[in-house]
Formats: sequence, C-alpha cells, structure tokens
Amino acid sequence: MNIQLKHPVAKLVVSVILVLWGISVLYPLLWTLFDSLKNNEQFFMNAPWSLPELPLLWSNFSYVWSKYNFSTYFVNSLVITIGSTVLALLLSATTAYVLARYKFRGSNALFLLYISSMMVPFVLALIPLFFLMNSMGLINTKLGLIFVYTSSLLAFGIFVLVGFFKSLPKELEEAAIVDGASYYGTFFRVMLPLSQPGLITIGIVNILNIWNEYIVGTILINDPDQYTLPVEIGVMQAEMQYRTEWGPLFAALLITIVPVLIIYIIFQRQIASGITAGAVK
Amino acid sequence: MNSGTVKWQRNLFIASFIVPTLLFFGVFTIYPVAQGLYYSFFDWSGMSDKKTFVGFDNFVEMFHDPIIWRAIGNDYFLVAGKIVGIMLLATFFAVALTRFGFRLAGFFRSIFFIPNVISVVVIGVLWNFIYNPQIGFLNGFLSLFTKEQVTITWLGFPGHTIWMLLPPAIWAGIGFYMILLIAAIQSIPESYYEAASIEGAGQWKQFWSITVPLTWEQIKVSILNIMMTTLNGSFVIVWIMTEGGPDNSTQVMGSYLYQMAFRQYHFGYGAAIGFIILVLSLITTIVLQRLMRHDTVEMS
Repeated sequence: MNIQLKHPVAKLVVSVILVLWGISVLYPLLWTLFDSLKNNEQFFMNAPWSLPELPLLWSNFSYVWSKYNFSTYFVNSLVITIGSTVLALLLSATTAYVLARYKFRGSNALFLLYISSMMVPFVLALIPLFFLMNSMGLINTKLGLIFVYTSSLLAFGIFVLVGFFKSLPKELEEAAIVDGASYYGTFFRVMLPLSQPGLITIGIVNILNIWNEYIVGTILINDPDQYTLPVEIGVMQAEMQYRTEWGPLFAALLITIVPVLIIYIIFQRQIASGITAGAVK
Repeated sequence: MNSGTVKWQRNLFIASFIVPTLLFFGVFTIYPVAQGLYYSFFDWSGMSDKKTFVGFDNFVEMFHDPIIWRAIGNDYFLVAGKIVGIMLLATFFAVALTRFGFRLAGFFRSIFFIPNVISVVVIGVLWNFIYNPQIGFLNGFLSLFTKEQVTITWLGFPGHTIWMLLPPAIWAGIGFYMILLIAAIQSIPESYYEAASIEGAGQWKQFWSITVPLTWEQIKVSILNIMMTTLNGSFVIVWIMTEGGPDNSTQVMGSYLYQMAFRQYHFGYGAAIGFIILVLSLITTIVLQRLMRHDTVEMS
C-alpha cells in the first residue's frame, strides 16, 4: 500500500504539476492535428491556438501524400525499419545465444567488444561510413541504410539477449539434445521461441529508433526517391523559408508520428522493459 | 561418431553464429570508427587521391578555432542543463507516480513517455513553431498581455539562443529516465517505507534516506547516459532548430562536425572533431563516475 501525501495542499500542488506536464505533452499533438487542417491564411490571421475553420482541410493530407511523395517516403521508412529490425534480431540473437551458452577462446573479449562499442560516439563513424557506402555502391540505397542501421543495433541487442538467454533454464536444451535435436534445431525450435518476450522488447525499441532516425539517413541518402520520413521532414522544414505551406508540414508531422504512437499504445509494457533492460549496464 | 567430429560440429556451430554478426559489425561499425580516428590526421577534401597526412595539424588548428571552443562550451552547457532539468523533473515524476498514491498514476506515466517515441526531427519542428516570431505560440501568448504584437525572434540572438534549445531537449528526454527511476523505486521493498513511516519519517525524509540511496545506481546511470547521449551525437535538435546559428553561436561538436565535413568538405577536420568528442566523452565519464562514487560513500 502506498503512503498517501498527508497535506491536501501538497497533494493539490503535485496534482497540478502532473496535469500541467500532461498537457504540455498532449497539447502539441492535438495542435499538430489542428494545424494540419488549416490553410496559410489561418496561420497568419488567427491565434496559434485557434481551432481550424470549417471546412476542415483534410486535403492537406492527400496533398502531402501525393504531391510531396509521402507515399514513397512512408514505404521507404517501412521497408528500412522492418528490414534492419529483422536482420538485427537474427544477427544479435545468434551471437547472444552462443555467448550466453558456449565458452570458447575469446568469448569474453567478444562480449566486451560489443558492450564497449556502446560507449563510442557514432558520429565518429559518420564520415568514413559515407565514403564506405559510396565505394560499395550502397549510397542512396535502402539496402545501404539497412546495413548501417542493423550494425548500429547489434550491441544493444546482444547485450540484452545474452542476459535473457542466461536466465533460461539449461534443462530445456539438454532435453532437446537428448531427443536428438541438432545444435541448430535446439536454437531455432526451442531457444528462439522461448526468448520471444526478449526479442519482442528489443524489436519494438529498435523499430522506434530506426523509424525516427535522422542523421545517418541525411548523410547516406541524397536522392529524393530514397528519403525516409524524418529526412524528408528535415528537408521540408528547410524549404519552408521560401515556400510556406504550414498546413501540409503539420500533416507531414502527423503522418510520421501516428505509426509510432500506435506501436507505443500497443507495446507500452515491452518498451518500458526494454528501457530498463538496456540501461542496467 | 568420434569425439573429433563432435568437437568439429560444435565449433562449426559456434562459428556460424558468431562470424556473420562480427563481420557485419566489423565492416559497418568497427572499421568506420577506426577510419574516423585515422582520417583525423589528414587534410582531405573528400577526393580520394588528395589526402595529405598532416599529423596533429587538425588538432592544432582546432586549438585556434574559436567556434570549436564555443561548441564545446555549448555541449557542456546542454549537458549540465539537461542533467539538472531532466533529473529534477524525472525524479519528481517518478516519486509522485509511485509513492503518492495517485489513482491516475499509470495514465500519467503513459502520457509522459510519449515525447520519447517521437522523432527528434519532429520535436525540433514543433518547437520551431513555438518559437516562430510571426505565427508562433510564445509570441502569440505574450501578445495577449501587450498592446502591440510581440515579434521576438527567439532563435535569433547570438548570445542566448542556446538557452532556447534547452527546453525542447529536456521536454523530449524526461520520459525515458522517469520510466527507469519508476522501475527502480518499485523494486524497493514496501516494508522499508512502512517501517520508516511507523518511526514517523515523512515523505521528504523517506525520499532522502530510502529512495535516493536505493535508486542511486539508476540515478548514476541516468546522469551518465544524459551526458553521453548529449556529447555523442544528439545534435539533431540543434541542427533542425538553428543549424548551429545564428553566427555559429549554437554550434555543438556534433553539428560542427557535420557542417565541416558535409557542408564545407573539410573531412579531415571533421574527423578530428569526432576524435575530440570521443576523448571528451570518455574523460567526462570517468570524472562523473569518480564524483558520484564519492557521493555514495558519504551517504551510506
């Protein structure tokens, strides 16, 4: 049982602060929606917090979707996010399993290598990555971005999954081996299904990170056909200096936000446990 | 099957699970990082055949570059401001949502985390709109109290604009650390608090003698994490909101690296900035860890 705050005044003050902060978080989302339904005139003539006038300009969304090519960027983001999340899960789960269960020469050093890489600033790799991707012909390609993102997700995945595999009882594998399962059979048919909660947690955290990523995308992609959503948002806002289309800009923001909000609402618990798992270094 | 083939099979299995991952990691992470360190000793405009070894010249040049000093100052300003702002609010929210018995605690917790799932680019654009001189929220709000329309260019003052970048950074960061601290507080046995309140300890006393010492590990991790993410690359807010301007006054190391390399094609110099980021973040980690270890000793 929790101890209640004794003073009603203290409780009121705390409640007010909580509500205010809640508003500061929710209101920008609401106003993004409102502003996505306005035209330029309303932006310049009315107060920023005014409601959109009727008729609501839902056309801003279709305008952004087709004229600004958001249909393309949305698909690009989707392909890149799913591709790198799946690839990263496969590559980190396999290594994590071996590191958790098998001793071999250098296994500790390998684990340390992955963990310590989380301390190294990724900006350090930006310049060489640009030239590396260029020389491999992977600049301006989804595949190139998938490879770089995957690699950036490995350390976190290995770190969390090694802990997860270690927490699973050894008897299950031993039983599988006795039943004649091969090493691969044991991993793919017994261990991988058992580690599903861990995989989902990491997968969701990775999806959010990749969907929202901006810097690497900006550097490795210059071809507008290959932009991801955040990259295009950056370009669009820079263009606002000479071509003011506020309504469409807010519609674009909403298109970018809504998918992660849906994922957040569904997988809240996994996201919270992903955070706590990743932070206990 | 003799033991030789069994061993061979086992090794083959291990290799097949280790090598692809390591290869990937080597090519797309280790190799670029190592190259980044290597490039910092070259003068290089991006044309592969015009790379000249210059030793420590980039670092010497940096020493005389006022912008890099400003960038380092801004980075540490943001580190300090974010640590204070985020830790105060995140701790307050974490305690309020676990220890004060609010019925809507779960709801608030879900809401407060939302900024953390939104792209920093989107957050930058939203806050740009808050600060917008003509149609922004802040001026609109201030205009309610003045006769004339307020048209302050919030992001246009070379001296103070870096302060304007602190609220979005704090606003965007709190949820993550709040969740971390909530988990830590919830793992403290309830009996500790019960015993304390039987002895007449109030909320404040309980906070300092139970909550803080028992969540110190997570507080430490949070502070280190804020520092590292700020120094290591969270320059998206800066880039989206000011591009380091006006007049380079809001430049941070990450944004300056980006500008030098990809806008002005001084790739060697950019790489050298990256080197400095690595060194500073390692030094700061060690210093902070020392400082905070000292604190635990005092407290227990």
